[in-house]
Parts: sequence; structure tokens; C-alpha cells
Amino acid sequence: MVNDLLTLAGSDAGKMVIGLVGVLAFVVVNALALTWAERKIAGHMQRRIGPKEVGPFGLIQPIADAIKLLGKEILTPAKADRPLYFLAPTLIFVPVLVSFIVIPFDAALQVTDINVGILVILAFSSVTILSILMAGWGSENKYSLIGAIRSVAQNIAYEIPMLLALLPVIMLANSLSLKEIVEGQRGLWYVVVQPLAFIIYFIASVAETNRTPFDLPEAESELVAGYHTEYSGMRFALFFLAEYTNIFIVSAIAATFFLGGYQGPVLPGIVWFLLKSYFLVFVIIWLRWTYPRVRFDQLLNFAWKGLIPLAFLNLVITGGLLKL
Amino acid sequence: MNGIIEAIKTGVPGVEPVEVSYPEKGYHCALQASPDQLIGVVRFFDERRFYLECLICTDYADYLELVYLFNTHLAPCRAKVAVKIDPRQPTAPSISALYASACWYEREIHEFYGVLFTGHPNMAYLFLHDGIDHYPLRKTRVPVPPEDRARLDSFKPCEAEDTFFINLGPQHPSTHGVLRVVLKMDGEYIEQAEPVLGYLHRMHEKMAENRTYQQFLPNTGRMDYLGAMSFNLGYVLAVERLCSIPVPDRAKFVRIIATELNRICSHLLWLGAYLADLGALTPFLFVFDDREAILDVLEGVAGSRLTYCYFRFGGLYNDVDDAFIAGTRAFVKRMWSRFSLYEKLVTGNVIFLNRTRGIGTITREQARKYGVAGPVLRSAGIACDLRKMEPYSAYNEVDFDIPVGEHGDVLDTYRIRVAEMENSLRIIEQALAKLPGGPFMAEKVPKKLKPPRGDVYQVVETPRGELGIYIVSDESDGPSRMKWRVPSFSNLMIFPELAKGVLLADAVAILGSLDLVIPEIDR
Repeated sequence: MVNDLLTLAGSDAGKMVIGLVGVLAFVVVNALALTWAERKIAGHMQRRIGPKEVGPFGLIQPIADAIKLLGKEILTPAKADRPLYFLAPTLIFVPVLVSFIVIPFDAALQVTDINVGILVILAFSSVTILSILMAGWGSENKYSLIGAIRSVAQNIAYEIPMLLALLPVIMLANSLSLKEIVEGQRGLWYVVVQPLAFIIYFIASVAETNRTPFDLPEAESELVAGYHTEYSGMRFALFFLAEYTNIFIVSAIAATFFLGGYQGPVLPGIVWFLLKSYFLVFVIIWLRWTYPRVRFDQLLNFAWKGLIPLAFLNLVITGGLLKL
Repeated sequence: MNGIIEAIKTGVPGVEPVEVSYPEKGYHCALQASPDQLIGVVRFFDERRFYLECLICTDYADYLELVYLFNTHLAPCRAKVAVKIDPRQPTAPSISALYASACWYEREIHEFYGVLFTGHPNMAYLFLHDGIDHYPLRKTRVPVPPEDRARLDSFKPCEAEDTFFINLGPQHPSTHGVLRVVLKMDGEYIEQAEPVLGYLHRMHEKMAENRTYQQFLPNTGRMDYLGAMSFNLGYVLAVERLCSIPVPDRAKFVRIIATELNRICSHLLWLGAYLADLGALTPFLFVFDDREAILDVLEGVAGSRLTYCYFRFGGLYNDVDDAFIAGTRAFVKRMWSRFSLYEKLVTGNVIFLNRTRGIGTITREQARKYGVAGPVLRSAGIACDLRKMEPYSAYNEVDFDIPVGEHGDVLDTYRIRVAEMENSLRIIEQALAKLPGGPFMAEKVPKKLKPPRGDVYQVVETPRGELGIYIVSDESDGPSRMKWRVPSFSNLMIFPELAKGVLLADAVAILGSLDLVIPEIDR
């Protein structure tokens, strides 16, 4: 049905508006569903049952949480750098929305297919770092600041292997457009040809989303809550929303680049796409409830001395083989 | 023991050491020294590798007495050095240069008795940061003079170029209670760490002076809420030693079963909380599952689940029933099968190993100088466990090992605690098999205890290490002075030393490995 609407809308601008509304709706539903899933999965991994009181299987719990957050008083620290402090939660949300525009949910279900699609995503995801830094600096809290500084160092370090792991796929598909990359996997998923790149990308993406074992920017036992310590109410909810949406985006990119995106037999494309994406989301949640946190120097050493050389080697070998 | 008395006589001329009956007093030899002789005596013990167990002050109205207890880690040889000082101008030389552990004890005595230790680097408040107008533990009301007040208020962290201060606590997820550590940071590295105590200070030692022996019993479980049985046991043993109350065999065995169950409980909670400190939240819920089984068993006989008050002078509050024995057997069986799970979840995890290996390494010399206790001490390779060194209750009738570490790092303390849980299970199994019948309470324990004049010292091994209780009786029905030498207090003292120059994340890992219980430190 959405396909029909998109064709009906006709003009590019109309298509964009409808697409953005769809994306916004998806972002909210996705975040609500993921918070529920995270709590339910965590519960079962920890020998308890998770939320169960609000609605069947606790399904309404995230909505109750959202209402609670909306109703909370919004506190601003007295010494906060106000423009930065206010702007940060909003700014963290922009790249999230932009990324959705180029992700192909199905052969026809894509807001717009830009021929440098992956560059758009990677470029905008760097804005996230800026907003985290703004949040940490603007809060005028030492724990927030340490969290923000950690976050910048971590994200810069892990963007490199992430990009280096995506490059071989781009070389194989001969395109930067996400749709063409998916189409390139008609016969064989790239994860079979590029298993190393997939693993490197996945590790780097866990680090990019600040999830355990790389959750140093918000390491609870060290930094209380890291860069969002001083945020409350809806502002905190925006950080929360962005985090969960980011988890979905990195998983969606992994599905698109390595697991054949929307391609699969019998079921419609979008189902395949969501199945693959949410499986990776599940793995990320699974990691969080299993592993302890690494230390900061270990984290950076792992990126600079482990992942980056490995990804580079993989890139050179892929390039050499393609030339042959 | 005779050896040490001869050695003191030749090593420190002028003092007269006497041999003391250990079963009656809890120490092996005693000597009187004047303040001038003190440094010489302390140096003598330092050279012979004794550690300072405790430093106690007692107000005998016409004089103040400082008691220094020295002991060795490898063979029990406790020496009591008593120094009489003038209550009007109480000064004594500080021994903090020789024993780092004396530093906090001297601060505490200064705060509570007004004794000024000359040569001490920092005589600031340890507990009572809101200020005091008189010295609380003196028997007569002695106001705090203004110059002393200024000295006490001297704790002021000041910021400098390139460094900043952060407060780890008193409300912080990884201090497990209301401990505050002021960290002087250079980026993520810690330049200096200064623990600030007193957020949970209740002055149990003063409370003891205003109560009878029985009335103080419930207080014991409130100091270390995770090892309440051990604290309860220590106090009961001390009073039994003071009043010479015999204990029936059945009570002795039940006491070690209950205490070992409580020890497993405490170590399990540590394991969960420690992994939560390192960022792994799931094991916390797993250990609570096991812990629940112990709590259910203990609740059946003791009536409470956390702050037990199960032991009584001369026996137990209640005899154990079949349900307790069956429940304990079932728990032991269950627990044996759980170690492999923790092994897989924790020990096999490369992130955990990399976070803990080589962190917070304690040398034997540091362990001695700071008087650290329990698993932290044993991680340094010193096989000192008071259950073996000075067996109490029925510990001499069961067979168990003392696990020791090789490197003294945080990983070793983890391994030791897991091994201790296994040994506790062995103790419980043997005690259940040997559990004799008969009465659980001694006959004719008087309702009103009137112990003879004098002092006793009693040690027990709590989950966190050496607990020492020093009681002075003045023939009334309550103690005239009671001092608790608590393991977390001495273990926290070494933290500033270990935290120097490490990353914030490592400091959290080290702090967690010390297994601190804050109400016990603050008392």
C-alpha cells in the first residue's frame, strides 16, 4: 500500500514528505519496540521474566515509560552552557532521520536512492559525535565531560575500521548506492565473500552505538550515566530514542551490505529485511547482557592496533583479487 | 611465645614483657611502655615483620591507655603494647611513618579522645565532619579546644592547573553505599585518591558503652550487613571469653555451618556486584538466585534474612531443625553444580581477564604495612586465615584449605573468593556429617553478666578478613570500652596507594575487589 501511495505522490517532494513521515513513525515504533525487547530479553537472560504487568506480555510498558518521561520535570543545571545543552538532544536526532532516507526496506520501499547513499549515512552519523560532545560540555558536569571525551575518541577510532570494512563491499558492488549493493547480492551474499569485513563492521558498529562491551561513554559504574547524566524528561528520552534508532541503523546497514538486504525467498522483501536487521539487533542486545565492559586504553588499542590493520589488509587483498 | 619475650627483653631494654594466657585474654604477651619507649618498641616489631593489628585507646578516668596490638601473619603471636598517657595533655608519638595502617587509627583516636600524635602528617577528621564540641569517647566531658578544632578541619582538596577533582560518591553506583572518594584526576588518570568516611557513622562503640552485653547483640549484625553471622559470632565469642562461658559442641558446629553459609552468601553478592562494576549486569541476578536459597535456609532458624542475631552467649537462639539440615544439604548440592556456570560466564571471559589481570597489585610488604585482611591479604600470597591460625568454635575439627594468590592482583582476589566458597561448602558438608546431638545452649548462663575486671581480644575471620573485638570490663553489666577492628577499614586504607596513577576504570575495579562494606568501616 505504501508503494501505491509513493507512486501516487508522484513528485519527488511529495515522495520525500510521505517518506519522512513514514520514517518518523518507524523511528518511534522501533524505539518503543526495542526498549520492550531489550527488557524482555534481558529479563529472560537473567532468570526473570521482564515487564509483564502493563498490557499483554508487558507490551504497553514502553508507552507507559514514554508518558512518564514526558511528564517529568525538565531540569537544567544552573551552570549549564544553555545553547549547547538545549541543542544537543535535538541535534543527535537529525543524522538518525537522514540515514533512514537512503536505506532500502524493499525493492521499491526507499525514500530516495542517492548514488552516494552510504556516504550520506557515514557523514551524518559523525554529527552524532558532535552532539554528544555538546551534551557533555554543555552540562557542566565532570562525569558528563569525561563521558563526552571518551565518546569522541571512541567514535573517531571506530569510524575508520567501519569505513574500511564497508569499502570492499563497495568495490565488489561497484557502487555507493545501497540499492545497487543489495541488487549485487542477488546470487551470493557478500558475507560469504567478505566474512572478515562483516565481523569488523559489526564490532565497530557496536562501538559506534556505545553499547556494551564498548559502552564507555555512559559507563554506569564509572561515570554514573556519562554524557546524559544531567538530562531529564523528554531530553533524556531523545538521547534514548537516538540510541535505539542507531542500533537499528547499524544493523540495517549490516543487513544491506552483507546479508543481502531485502532479498530472500517466499516472504516479501521487507519481511526479510526486518528479519535480518532485527536478528543483528538481537545479537547486540545479547552482547550487552553477557559481557563486561572493556577499559578505555584496551578499547582504543583494539581499534588502532587490531581492527584497522586487519580491515586495511582485507581491503588490499580484496582490491588485489578484483584486479586479477 | 617464650622466644618473643626473650627477644623483646634483649631487643628493647627497659620494658618488661609478660606472658599471658591466650585462652583467657586472646593475646600471647603484654608489655607496658612509656611514650618515649614507644618508637623503639614499634621499631622492634617492624623489624621482625609483625603487622599492626589494631590501635586502641581506652579512658580509665585517671589515665588514657593506648593499646597497640601486633601480630605476625604466619604464626599467631599477638603482642599487646600498652602506653599510659596523661589525660590532661594527651600526646603520644605517631607511628604512622613505620606503619601506614596507624595513620587512620591515630586520626580516629584524635577525633574521639583528643590524643595528639606528634609527627602525624594529617590529623584531620575521619568521621565527624560536621564538627564536635567534645570528645565523644572520653568518660568525662572534655571540650575540644579551638586549636584542635582547626587541626581537625584541615581536610580541603584544592584544584590546580591541569588537574581536576571528582567525587566518587557518596552517591555513586560503584561505591556500594555511602563511601566518598575524592579523586584528583589528570584526564582519565588518578593522581591522588582520598577516601572520606563518616557518611554512615553511628558510633556503635559509644553505644556499646551505654548498653549491657545482651543489649548490644543486635548491633553486631548492623555493622557488616553482609557478614552479620561472623560479626555476631565474634562478639559472642569475645563475651564468652570474657565471662568464661562454656559452649556445647552442638552449638559450635551449628555456628560454623551458619557462618559459612553466610560467608558464601557474602562472596556471592560480591561476585555479582563486582561484575556489575565491570559492566556485566547479568551475573548479579544469577548470584541472587543462589543467595536466595541460603537466605531461605537461614531465615528458618535465625528468623531474619540479613541482619542476623542468631548466636547467644553460651549457644544459639534456636536449635536447628530437620528442615534446616535438609535445606542446607540441598543448597550444598546445588551450589557445587553452579561453579562451572560461573567459570564459563566469568573466568572464561577474555574481557574480564584483561580488566582484572595485573591491576591493583599488592606486595607482601604493602599488605603488612597496611594491615590488609582477608582475601585481599591472601591474594598477596600470605596464607593467613584466622579460622586456621587461631581456630575458634569447631574450625579445628574440619578440614579445609586456605587458597592464596600468586600475583596479588584483582584477578587473584576473585579466584580466592571462588575457592573460598568451595572450601566453605566442604566445611559445611563435614560439619553436617559430624553434627553432634545434645543441648544447643549452655546451662546456667546468668541473665546479668558481670565479668571480672580486665580486657580480652577476640578475632574471627569474616568474609572480608580479620575482625578483632577488644572489650574492657569494669565489673559492671556492660562493657566500659569496646573496640571493633574491622577488615574493610584496613582494606580501604590501602586504596589510595593502589589507585595512584591508574585509570578511573581500574580504580573502580580495585575498589570493588576490596569488597568494602561501608557501615562496617564507619561503624
